[in-house]
Amino acid sequence: MSEIHHLSIKQLRDLIQRRDASVTEITESFLNRIRQCDDKIKAFLTVQEEPALAQAAQLDRQLASGESKNGLLTGIPLAIKDNIVTQGVRTTCASRILEDYIPPYDATVMSRLKESGAILLGKTNCDEFAMGSSTENSAFFPTRNPWDLERVPGGSSGGSAAAVAVGEAPGALGSDTGGSIRQPAAFCGTVGLKPTYGRVSRYGLVAFASSLDQIGPVGNSVSDVALLLQAIAGSDPQDSTSAARPVEDYLSEIDQEVKGLKIGVPKEWFGSGLDGQIEQSLRAAIKKLEGLGCSLLEVSMPQTEYAISTYYVIAPAEASSNLARYDGVRYGHRSADQTDLDSMFKSTRSEGFGEEVKRRIMIGTYVLSAGYYDAYFIKASKVRTLLRNDYHEAFKKVDLLVGPTTPSLPFKIGEKKTDPLEMYLMDIYTVTANLAGIPGLSLPCGFSQEGLPIGLQLQAPYFQEARLLNLGHALEQELNVQKPKLAV
Amino acid sequence: MPIDTREVEKIAELAHLKFDPQELERFVGHFQQILEYFTQLETVSTDNVQYAHQAVEGKNRATPMREDEVRSSLPVATALDNAPESSEDHFQVPPVIE
Repeated sequence: MSEIHHLSIKQLRDLIQRRDASVTEITESFLNRIRQCDDKIKAFLTVQEEPALAQAAQLDRQLASGESKNGLLTGIPLAIKDNIVTQGVRTTCASRILEDYIPPYDATVMSRLKESGAILLGKTNCDEFAMGSSTENSAFFPTRNPWDLERVPGGSSGGSAAAVAVGEAPGALGSDTGGSIRQPAAFCGTVGLKPTYGRVSRYGLVAFASSLDQIGPVGNSVSDVALLLQAIAGSDPQDSTSAARPVEDYLSEIDQEVKGLKIGVPKEWFGSGLDGQIEQSLRAAIKKLEGLGCSLLEVSMPQTEYAISTYYVIAPAEASSNLARYDGVRYGHRSADQTDLDSMFKSTRSEGFGEEVKRRIMIGTYVLSAGYYDAYFIKASKVRTLLRNDYHEAFKKVDLLVGPTTPSLPFKIGEKKTDPLEMYLMDIYTVTANLAGIPGLSLPCGFSQEGLPIGLQLQAPYFQEARLLNLGHALEQELNVQKPKLAV
Repeated sequence: MPIDTREVEKIAELAHLKFDPQELERFVGHFQQILEYFTQLETVSTDNVQYAHQAVEGKNRATPMREDEVRSSLPVATALDNAPESSEDHFQVPPVIE
């Protein structure tokens, strides 16, 4: 048997069910792995060592006495991105402004995970308020890529993806506003899913851009991601944008036949900006889809070239409004440098927010301000409609879409930090799913010559997560990607 | 659309942010670069296109109505736990009346 920390969630469940390992042993194993490598990876902002072990011991007692109900995730330790609120556990959003914030309530996804029997291992690092594509914008420290410590893990959910890749946690939750689950999943060689807008409750997800944000899982396999989605999906009275429709049985649908599915290959996603090694790896993987009995069809997504502009008008606009709440009154940092209420607001926000967050608040305030609202915000919202129409047209012809997750391989720490626009362009293949509201899944399709992970992205129509996971799982089995040795 | 230091200062005022001169200079540069990139949107024809009001449109849209019922909320003491300053049952702020 390989070491516990390299087992899948499914394998861990089997161990617990057969009583081959106690929940305490399993939790210890992941805590050990964190102790062993997190000083290098820096995936965690908070580790819940004692509470996790106490919960594990309690579950072991319940399992021994037979009083434990068999939850979907009984005894599975998980890592949670630090922009998802956890009752009594510090939640910082990787920001100085929330450095000491202790939430008085749980996000709905946390309540659901707890009901499923999962254990909170700790809170993971991210770009401040989820704004970034490298986890370098964390106010505390950057997280490192588990395959090359000099490179970024992607972002904003870089801590969650790195923790899962390196075996510090068997699964994690992240959030995805413009690719923040899928891009780090691709950079870290893990699987990440952004569900349809409304499939998972956003209650307790610290708001960045409310029309784009969605919580989703990260795992080492498509079936683990399906399992995690099963635990967190569903409508929630606390989030009126959560969808009322029933949740499918993702696990039983994952093994369905994929023969006969029509897969669209958007020609605009294979343009000049795409790294050669990524394209080569993708083309080979797409060929495998044919081998699985799927038919391929070239489709067109003509608005792709406007996606970054559209996203970087709309997301900062929503952020500038959402982040108005950080004023030093009800929670978070309050500046001592103040003479009156107004100077308290300004000093508090200027000291508490990092550069990228300030930049987005400024862009958002600008595009919403008198004189520019129509030219930027309304214009971008119209292009958003056109982009959504692209998907609508494509999904008339095909069942799913396939393409890259990222235009480049994981880049070096510091390489793009001084050029915000260059960093924004990293999101080209992921933002469109958020703007349209559809689900997207990133899974590893290979490794580059230098041993860096390459991600492939599948996208599906609204609420077709079951089919998305089904095809992802089939392709994952077919590709059987052999991973090189981790850097730790 | 070029943007200058004065305009960036005006936006900062609206956003309740302040920058030192060095930060401001860097910001103006990045701001110009980003706004310049956004001008590509002008080339997209959006005549007769409705703008997207919702994250998800049509039959897939959620947002159902619910009964307007009174529900319990956080106890006042709990809500004040994270406040930088509080007094009795209130959040405390610097004086706003001269």
